[in-house]
Amino acid sequence: MAFTATPLVGGDAFDMAQRLGLEADRALASLVDSAEQAACLRRYWDSIAELGWMATAVPEEAGGAGGGLADLAALVAGAGRGGLPLPVTLACAVVPALLAGAGEGRNALLADVATGRARICAILPGAASDGTGSALKLAASGGRLVLDGTVVGVETPPDPTHLLIVCGEAEPVLLLIPADARGLAGGRYQRIDGHLAQDWTFGGMAVEPTWILARGEEVTRRAEEARDLGALLTCIEGVSAMGAIIEQTIDYLSNRVQFGVPLSSFQALRHRVAEMYVEYENLRGLVGQTLRAASASDCLPWRDIAFAKLRLGEAGRFVAQEAIQCHGGMGMTEALPAIRLARRVMMAEFEYGDRTFQAARLLAEARRCAEAA
Amino acid sequence: MAAPIDYDAFRREVTEFALTRCPPEIRAAVATYRKLSRKIWYPWQKILYEHGWGAPSWPKEYGGTGWDHRQRHIFDEVMAECDCPPQYHHGLRHIGPVIIQFGTPEQKQRFLPGILSGKDWWCQGYSEPNAGSDLASLRTTARREGNEYIVEGQKTWTSHAHESDWMYTLVRTSKEAKKQQGITMLLIPLDSPGITIRPIRTIDGWHHVNEVFLDHVRVPVANRIGEEGQGWTYGKFLLERERLGGANVAPALKNLERTRALVAQELAGEGNRLKREMLEHRLLLAEAELLGARALGREAVAAVMEGKPLNLLPSVLKLSTSVTHQHIAEVALDAVGGRLAPRFRRVDAGGPNAEAPGIEWVQNYMYMRVRTIYGGSSEVQKNVIAKQLFGA
Repeated sequence: MAFTATPLVGGDAFDMAQRLGLEADRALASLVDSAEQAACLRRYWDSIAELGWMATAVPEEAGGAGGGLADLAALVAGAGRGGLPLPVTLACAVVPALLAGAGEGRNALLADVATGRARICAILPGAASDGTGSALKLAASGGRLVLDGTVVGVETPPDPTHLLIVCGEAEPVLLLIPADARGLAGGRYQRIDGHLAQDWTFGGMAVEPTWILARGEEVTRRAEEARDLGALLTCIEGVSAMGAIIEQTIDYLSNRVQFGVPLSSFQALRHRVAEMYVEYENLRGLVGQTLRAASASDCLPWRDIAFAKLRLGEAGRFVAQEAIQCHGGMGMTEALPAIRLARRVMMAEFEYGDRTFQAARLLAEARRCAEAA
Repeated sequence: MAAPIDYDAFRREVTEFALTRCPPEIRAAVATYRKLSRKIWYPWQKILYEHGWGAPSWPKEYGGTGWDHRQRHIFDEVMAECDCPPQYHHGLRHIGPVIIQFGTPEQKQRFLPGILSGKDWWCQGYSEPNAGSDLASLRTTARREGNEYIVEGQKTWTSHAHESDWMYTLVRTSKEAKKQQGITMLLIPLDSPGITIRPIRTIDGWHHVNEVFLDHVRVPVANRIGEEGQGWTYGKFLLERERLGGANVAPALKNLERTRALVAQELAGEGNRLKREMLEHRLLLAEAELLGARALGREAVAAVMEGKPLNLLPSVLKLSTSVTHQHIAEVALDAVGGRLAPRFRRVDAGGPNAEAPGIEWVQNYMYMRVRTIYGGSSEVQKNVIAKQLFGA
């Protein structure tokens, strides 16, 4: 029997998410028109909203299911294996985690998130700018707060209704801005991995007092925690996708005949697959342990998560690249699910802190410890 | 039913013992990568033996501790964390369990006590010039003559033969269609007439492996393990028992910790900042991999405790930690190589290498290359993994 990956978190939610992912990936792959693709993504978004995905981690008092990390993990693992190109981690985990720090009216907002009515894009500190424009900045001007600058490539749900922003150097604030606010411009597009993204330009827009949901150091702390939660779930999605990539690569090599024999008879290719498996297993072990540690504690184990995300960068890219190489010319096309998954794993590295970001924070902490000793 | 084992308390007990009872000079030898020899191992084995911990993996009736797999794993981890030498394995982990499983009552009585106390030192006569990774191709022969076997042939890569008393040896007693058949396991005293041991000069400048020539060596039939022709089974049993070995990532993590301290010390100061940070980054990547391997190691121990199969875990662990060990050794080499590598002498070039303090880092780098070769080379492990993944 050929290899079948064991899910990190199995169960009904995992199975359902995988089924939906496979279906959406197939549907999307059959479309060429970008408007049709956008409509397709919106349909799947409405489906997962109806299924209650976005309510998973929303507290019961806000109309959610009050679920925990394991429930979120099952969803992203299933979605990752199926290749569902929707911002599951963002919508189901990161946005609720950020909103949990909002003041009054928090429950009403969370209730809208839970039903999928509020479709929120999140901009965390350090979001990318395009290099020509200036980075996002919050400044005081004439007694008001003003937002200026651009951020690019921000993952977004279909037809976003709001932007949730953490910014401000002097005093960090959490802002919720309606997507149709004056002074806000943006262009939306489908990224190479099928996910929707948007560039946002803030043309010196004044911040309405009602947009401010929270302020102070607590905002920064929650933003960091939300990023780590996002990183952990992205790792789970990545591991799950990598398992499927290896299965499908084995299947391809076993069935593709060249030089009169199946490709799987060549030792060079078999060894590549063995190396993919070793990297996959190593990451699976680390992410599984990190997930267990995170589930057993009230605060997220940031060091474990940083190491896991760093390894997603290393091992994930390795598995993706090797899968492409093993598929030969077909690896350069987007025709096969394995390659679409590989592309997704490569892109996932850049969400919630890439490997250099994670390495830098781990090295900085080591330095602090050495200096303190 | 026995009370459940308190593993945390057990870990504390072992740590306390290691830190207070292992002689400082032995721990220093381990911490500075001195090549371990019988002179270092024996006193430590004696201390463990006298404490009743001589054989962590043996059943109580043979003088072992009777510990479960998790306790043994904790013991091994703590030994590494405390710079204690890993116990010399050829007797305790290799031939000892084979004798316990397949030996006659006389063999048990004769051989086990010496292994346990460390009085008798063993080495492994497996590899030959034309049978390395492909061990079953071995050609050393044993011909039955009355109550003796006459052994002719050559063994190689025989670690510690020069300081051993006995060699457990695979020999060919008949030629069969399948090359794994017709192999027999003999226990050969190394002071037997006809044995010549010659050191092999290795790239690390240490003496640890040898060639062993067997010229008409007479071995009593009483020194045969089990049945004639069934040696492959016993050899495989021995290797199967070693499958959890890779689950202990503590030595690699210790190696990382030492190398990190070396980098900080060797490259202190602003002038070395860039170089230091480059090496620190490489060590961080190694650490990340080791944390993944440690998680897999814990899975492996848990699986064994629950009686579940390990499947590919041992191969995965062997493959990944062996390479990470090498990466760490490379970082150490890059930290000190500029000033030490040019002073690394041939053993016969006059003057010991010990005249260059820290030269062990360079020797250790060279030595670490063997990690991906011995115990089933990386290529063999990949074949094993691929065979199972592809289902053929």
